[in-house]
Amino acid sequence: MIDKLSNQTRIIIATVLSFLFFATYDHYFIPKKNIVDTNQTKQTKVKQDISNKAPQISNDNTTATKAPAKPLKSQEEVILTVKAKRYELHIDRLGRISKFYLNEEKYKDENGERIQLIDNKLKLYPLEIRFADENVNTEAFAIPYVADKNMVEVKDKGVKVTLTQSLSGLKVIKNFTFYKDGNYDLDIKMSKPEKYFITPGFRPNIAVDSYTFHGALVKEADDTHTPIEEGDATGKERFIDAKVAAGADKYYTTALYNFDKGFDVIVSVVNEDSPLLFVKHTGDLKIHGYVGPKEYRVLHRIDPRLTDIIEYGFFTFISKPLFLLLSWLHSMFGNWGWSIVAMTLIIRLVLFPLTYKGMVSMNKLKELSPKIKELQAKYKGDSQKLNAHMMELYKKHGANPMGGCLPILMQIPVFFAIYRVLQNAIELKSAPWILWIHDLSVMDPYFVLPIAMGITMFLQQKITPSNITDPMQEKIMKYLPLIFTFFFVTFPAGLTLYWFTNNLFSISQQYYVNSLFAKKKEAEKATHNKAKK
Amino acid sequence: MSKIMRHLAIFVLKAYQKFFTLFSYGSCRYYPTCSEYARWQILHNNGLIKACFYSLLRILRCNQLFAGGIDYPVVDKNFQTSSFAPYTPKLSVNIEFWFVPKTKKSFYVIKAFNQSQKGSP
Repeated sequence: MIDKLSNQTRIIIATVLSFLFFATYDHYFIPKKNIVDTNQTKQTKVKQDISNKAPQISNDNTTATKAPAKPLKSQEEVILTVKAKRYELHIDRLGRISKFYLNEEKYKDENGERIQLIDNKLKLYPLEIRFADENVNTEAFAIPYVADKNMVEVKDKGVKVTLTQSLSGLKVIKNFTFYKDGNYDLDIKMSKPEKYFITPGFRPNIAVDSYTFHGALVKEADDTHTPIEEGDATGKERFIDAKVAAGADKYYTTALYNFDKGFDVIVSVVNEDSPLLFVKHTGDLKIHGYVGPKEYRVLHRIDPRLTDIIEYGFFTFISKPLFLLLSWLHSMFGNWGWSIVAMTLIIRLVLFPLTYKGMVSMNKLKELSPKIKELQAKYKGDSQKLNAHMMELYKKHGANPMGGCLPILMQIPVFFAIYRVLQNAIELKSAPWILWIHDLSVMDPYFVLPIAMGITMFLQQKITPSNITDPMQEKIMKYLPLIFTFFFVTFPAGLTLYWFTNNLFSISQQYYVNSLFAKKKEAEKATHNKAKK
Repeated sequence: MSKIMRHLAIFVLKAYQKFFTLFSYGSCRYYPTCSEYARWQILHNNGLIKACFYSLLRILRCNQLFAGGIDYPVVDKNFQTSSFAPYTPKLSVNIEFWFVPKTKKSFYVIKAFNQSQKGSP
């Protein structure tokens, strides 16, 4: 029965099926509204116990040390609470950050609860120290730290807190200075040099999706930026004199950094190839840390170099300036939606000289259309010959309507860069545009933007010249706007907004140039008539 | 090794022609198109690096600031020593490419139009 259907019907059936697929997929598998849900599905995978062994290093003659496999409950007892306007931080009896709550309104999940960034399923928390010496390590996991204050409030100035752990024969002091932005200084002092590992913690597990980066990041001594994706960690990676060691999901990070004096980083593998970073050190250590959202403004305020934690993937070198442009526009308009529209306009204006030339030649070619039709009839079915003759004709008349490969190829990385910026920027979270768009970082709830995108894409195709002559490709091309519409349904509204405005601008540009030409022709006609008289 | 690379490059180009041309609306300003040009270069030029270099130059030329039109790839070929000698093609064989001399050692590569198609003059 199926093979009796015409091609058109088959394609329609295919699109209906794919729509149904997307609809069900969307309904059952894509987290609704707030990405916080990913917690529930992702975290179940995390293995419950990870022994507190110091990471093993093969080229080092230290034996891995063991500690109680499951930490006692009392170890997680909070000995210090740090409260600030933006966050609340808990430190447990082992001197680790056990909880980190974000206080701001935009970081609340759908139940109105504050987001908590430390992944507690792993039983490993940021700033946990594991000693290379087995005996010391066992003791260190049994004897609690003592804090000189139980509760501090951070205002504009940094607040100092000292944590002390007295082991037999070794005294460990963690001197903290907490700041209001979520960063802290950590000054570790030891009564004798002992080899140990300290971790920035496992990456936050709040916003994890397959589109964006989540894993570990290291900024190396030579400022190379090395992301280790989940699944890519081998456990053999070593970094000497690194400047930043961070775990990050799409929006949040927990990082240790020191730009003045580097530290050695090793990677250990947990739960099926997930990277977990450790800073390897002996004796006293001065280091800085940050836990919180990867908000550009905040990171820049702490240390401009810290903004490198925001990972846009391969095209970061284009993404970063684009984000800066977007952020600058936001400071002018005060709305991220309008900033996206303005950014699109700016990109189109930059490309205007090229596109304008193309549109002018298109108008010139209107006079040649009988000749083109003649060629098309003559070489019907032989696309190679047709293309050759068309190009000859274009050259003869000095008007080539094709845009060219270079502009297209140049746009591909720019598109990917924008895509990553709009996917990654936490600034777009809970950022409204107009009317029904309340959050540019999630899909359009009423499908208005994707559909508008499809329609404008269809119109744009109508007015853009093409030399595709392969009938199969031509058919696919026809249905491309439809396919794209379904493809974009689940994309963040910000991204769809970009694509839609881009189409809209290019269509209006075309109409503008066309009307210019029409006017010019009219004027020519008028002067011609006058001359006749 | 270089043979594998060549095949890989050709494969990538074919995949590009089949699928990605849809996104670029087939907007090349030349005959042969940039991807075809690259394919012919890779097929017939001596070194892959050279072929890639010329193809890159071509892509850079493919924008509104250049006239476009017909632009055949030029390759360096040495017919005296090439594998050409022991192999004498039968004249009935379909000719795929013409090598039209430009200088003594460089040739235009021109793909023969499909003869079996009707309507060819």
